[in-house]
Amino acid sequence: MTLAWLLRRFFTVLYTLLVVSVLVFGLTQILPADAAVTLLGENATPAALAAVRERLGLGDPAWLQYWHWLSALLQGDFGTSMRTSQPVGPAMFTALGRSLLLGGASLVVMLVIAVPLGMWAALRRGKAADLMSSLVSYLGVSFPEFVTATLLLIVVADYFQLLPATGYVPPGEDLADSIRHLILPVVTVSLIMVAHVSRMVRSETIDVLNSDYIRAARLKGLPPRTVLLRHVLRNALLPTVTIVALDVGYLLGGIIVVEEIFAIPGIGRALIVAITSRDLPSIQAGAVIMAATYAVANTLADIAYVLIDRRIRYD
Amino acid sequence: MTDALHRLLRTPQGVLGLGLLAVLVLACLLGRSLAPYSPEAMDFAGRFAPPGARHWFGADQLGRDVLSRLLVGASSTIPLAVAATFSGALVGACVGTLSAYLGGRWDEAITRTIDAVMAIPHLLLALILVSTLGKGSTNAALAIAISVAPSMARVTRSVALSVRQQDYVKAAIARGEGAGWIVLREMLPNVAAPLIIEATIRVAFAVMLFATLSFLGLGAQPPASEWGLMISEARRFMHQAPWILVAPALAIATTAICFNLLGDGLRDALNPRDER
Amino acid sequence: MSPVLAVAGYSLDYVTREGTQRVLEDVTLAIAPGEVLGLVGESGSGKTSLAWAIMRHLPGNAREAAGGSLRLGDVDLRAASARALETIRGRRMSMVFQDPSTALNPTLSIGRQVSEVLVRHRGLSEKDAWQAATEALAHVDLRDPAGLMKRYPHEASGGEKQRVVIATAFACRPELIVFDEPTTALDVITGARILELFGRLRAETGVSALYISHDLALVARVADRVAILEKGRIVEEAPADRIFTAPAHPYTRRLVAAVPRPEQRLVTDQVRPRELLRGEGIAVRYRRKRLFRLAPPPATDHVTLDIRRGEILGIVGESGSGKSSIARALTGLADYEGDIALDGRRIGSVKDMDRTYRKAVQIVFQHPDSSLNPRQTVGDILARPLRLYGGDVATIPALLDEVRLPAAYARRYPHQLSGGEKQRVAIARAFAAKPDLVICDEITAPLDVSVQASVVELLLRLREANGTAYLFITHDLNLVRQVAHRIVVMRQGEIVDLLDMEMLRRGEIHSYTRELIAASPTPVG
Repeated sequence: MTLAWLLRRFFTVLYTLLVVSVLVFGLTQILPADAAVTLLGENATPAALAAVRERLGLGDPAWLQYWHWLSALLQGDFGTSMRTSQPVGPAMFTALGRSLLLGGASLVVMLVIAVPLGMWAALRRGKAADLMSSLVSYLGVSFPEFVTATLLLIVVADYFQLLPATGYVPPGEDLADSIRHLILPVVTVSLIMVAHVSRMVRSETIDVLNSDYIRAARLKGLPPRTVLLRHVLRNALLPTVTIVALDVGYLLGGIIVVEEIFAIPGIGRALIVAITSRDLPSIQAGAVIMAATYAVANTLADIAYVLIDRRIRYD
Repeated sequence: MTDALHRLLRTPQGVLGLGLLAVLVLACLLGRSLAPYSPEAMDFAGRFAPPGARHWFGADQLGRDVLSRLLVGASSTIPLAVAATFSGALVGACVGTLSAYLGGRWDEAITRTIDAVMAIPHLLLALILVSTLGKGSTNAALAIAISVAPSMARVTRSVALSVRQQDYVKAAIARGEGAGWIVLREMLPNVAAPLIIEATIRVAFAVMLFATLSFLGLGAQPPASEWGLMISEARRFMHQAPWILVAPALAIATTAICFNLLGDGLRDALNPRDER
Repeated sequence: MSPVLAVAGYSLDYVTREGTQRVLEDVTLAIAPGEVLGLVGESGSGKTSLAWAIMRHLPGNAREAAGGSLRLGDVDLRAASARALETIRGRRMSMVFQDPSTALNPTLSIGRQVSEVLVRHRGLSEKDAWQAATEALAHVDLRDPAGLMKRYPHEASGGEKQRVVIATAFACRPELIVFDEPTTALDVITGARILELFGRLRAETGVSALYISHDLALVARVADRVAILEKGRIVEEAPADRIFTAPAHPYTRRLVAAVPRPEQRLVTDQVRPRELLRGEGIAVRYRRKRLFRLAPPPATDHVTLDIRRGEILGIVGESGSGKSSIARALTGLADYEGDIALDGRRIGSVKDMDRTYRKAVQIVFQHPDSSLNPRQTVGDILARPLRLYGGDVATIPALLDEVRLPAAYARRYPHQLSGGEKQRVAIARAFAAKPDLVICDEITAPLDVSVQASVVELLLRLREANGTAYLFITHDLNLVRQVAHRIVVMRQGEIVDLLDMEMLRRGEIHSYTRELIAASPTPVG
């Protein structure tokens, strides 16, 4: 890993955030909502509205507004929520923390299930186990999160009453209860990814199993276990790192829906609230923070990849 | 073309996918006439009627027949999702091809920008777009088209770049062919197949995304019998009548499975490989 | 003395969608202790399947016929359990693969991959095995073995990797080693060194070997006896020194006749020194300097060469010598520095290449699979240059006939054609333009020898009929010595030698050319 490579990665992240900020700002600017009206309510006097517009700089050209917004953003000021009149930044980052807990747990659960499932299917290619796993993955990728979540609610929380239906308990407060509340959301979020990643692991493993170096390892007389653990595993998992990183985008989308259904006060729920109440600063802040999370996750995955795989070239 | 269809029918995914597709197309085209009741016909005596001979999939909180609503709802879900995907895919394909064709700095700039746009999750992008454009099915479809485009552009670019490396394209360049001929006649037919496969699989995502938007109240609006909306409305009654919810859930899943199977079947059918 | 390997009455089928396909038919052969048996066959002859059968590593759709036997010394390989095979493989028999770049695990250090076989079969501790593996690498003439042990496969050259694979194969002093085309993926000189190494190790260890190759001339040098495999049957088995002098079976005779013999010239005419095309100081660079990256050295470094009317100019060189880059520059596929002149007309850059130039200079590529558009019929493919350069589409049947293909092929798609047929279509496409010069970029490399011979024969006939000049780019020195009027030898982007046949005969050649000639096995006798 060279310094130049790291620098390039860093600039890529910066560029990503720049594009995202332009896009988010541009999209929210054309929102057909008058920020001043949202802020003061329908019954405000024209004079009060004009004063607020002046204060918010709503009369300025779009690029100037963007510039003010961006420079404030760079100083850590995400603006003030139009709904709650509180600073957006702290609220969003608190919410992000809860979402990262949900996302991280889902990622771990997903990997623990998907990787062995995919490898098992590859090893038993064409047999019943393989068919089972491909059935699971077809079903998995075909149920949107809101459907899975609702069905789980009906069966697990409502009918059998095994787990609490909705709500969020901070882990610091009551760890056991916190976990009980997280189980259904985590299962929902990880299901689609389990389906997707296990299929990828399967096809990567099949490619590796068909490679010359695995034949060579077998023909050295190494026992199957050694071949699998020492030679197959690492090579099959490497491409998975990249796939999982790209799936983080999907995961973030899933979190939005799941937080809404399970009433978890994370960044996804905050975004939905912001969008339905047309709270511009909150929408902008939430979207930029989510995109930044994705960009950082991808960069970390790239760095991890380079650290594990010695072959990588720095271009 | 018939050749590809034959090969599609030889794969189990293809047969299953085409079978499901036939059912869905039938529901979209003839849903209203096949439906045993009118989807809006209310029947207060028959509220929450469980599945049975009278109502195969039961009746909902207003006594409306769930099966009829599903059948009619098909045409307000699937065609929009398909149209959204393919128009988004078309835009993405043009951008991707352009990027691959221009090469060099332009290619780099376009690719980096696409990557950056993809840092915004599909659902979030669609949510922001719909909240900007306003609620409703058409706007939701537009939002889906826009969120499909970047990933299709990326796929197109990588396929186009690999085709560009093929010797038959080099032969055309060496022959002194114009850019139009090379792109349209030499490259496009070879880029098309992987794109059709990719787009087909993305229809499944689009159906799911569309239903999700409706579920969140931003897509189709009541009293439409769009499937995501049906689930959203049925949620309040899931204790009394889970079937109102399960039926549209299964309909969405079946549609998604259909396009996933079809995409996988096409992958095998459109890439004639060595049969050994 | 009982044989190390005895194959008797062995038959093998593959089950495919189209039905059962026989790949090996009643194969019987034996290898004595210390003996090397060469197994020669063209692609699809089943030679690699036999290797897999011996190593007991057959694909899932393979079905072995009852009755045949495979014995390694006292062991019945077919009856051996999976566990028993684990103790045999790597210890009593091992294998060397064709492509060393895929035969080593990219994510494990070289040391780990050599030492693991010692840990497994000689029961050494990790530390002792590492020591023994370092010695094994030193023994195959690898420089700095201790350093190499710590490196990863991508940090070693192709030749080094193949030595590592060979060191691994010899590590436990097996009785039998199966070599599957061990030099095919390597450059000529590197391959020759590998063969020297094998000769030395063989003399030291007295190992028996099955040496599989498509190259009859090479096998005749390496092996004691040669078996010829045709469509799964062994049609002839003879001592290596007799296979070229007294081939008995008709198939062997065809094979022997197809092997290029440099002393047998196929082109006898002389060309007058009338210049057709001249390249002056041609340099091709593939990557430009970018932020954070230096510009790489050019693929060809200001090369100057000329081609005469009707001449066959051969360019030989190893991979990376820049020979294909010249083809790319001359056809406008790569930007170049320097000047090209066609009939005295100056072509300063790719932009100057107009229709007249394009028509005059045509190219045939190496891989017939990728050079024909899979979505166009042969007729469409041939019609294009005709329309572009003012030919008549009605001449397509005649064009096909010229390359000895039936007129009905115009309606076929490329995937319905064999490799040799596709290459004929590509040649027909080049000749549809009625060119003055056809650039042949390694066009015979992927073809079997017999197909290769017929393609060369076709090219020579077309030249006789049309007076076309060829720029014949190849790594096969023997072939180019048969056909070229003059030969350009390239190394690392530079021309090291330019010789005509007379200079070659008198031995007025560069030392590198001499090395290349020595490394290219020619038919014995």
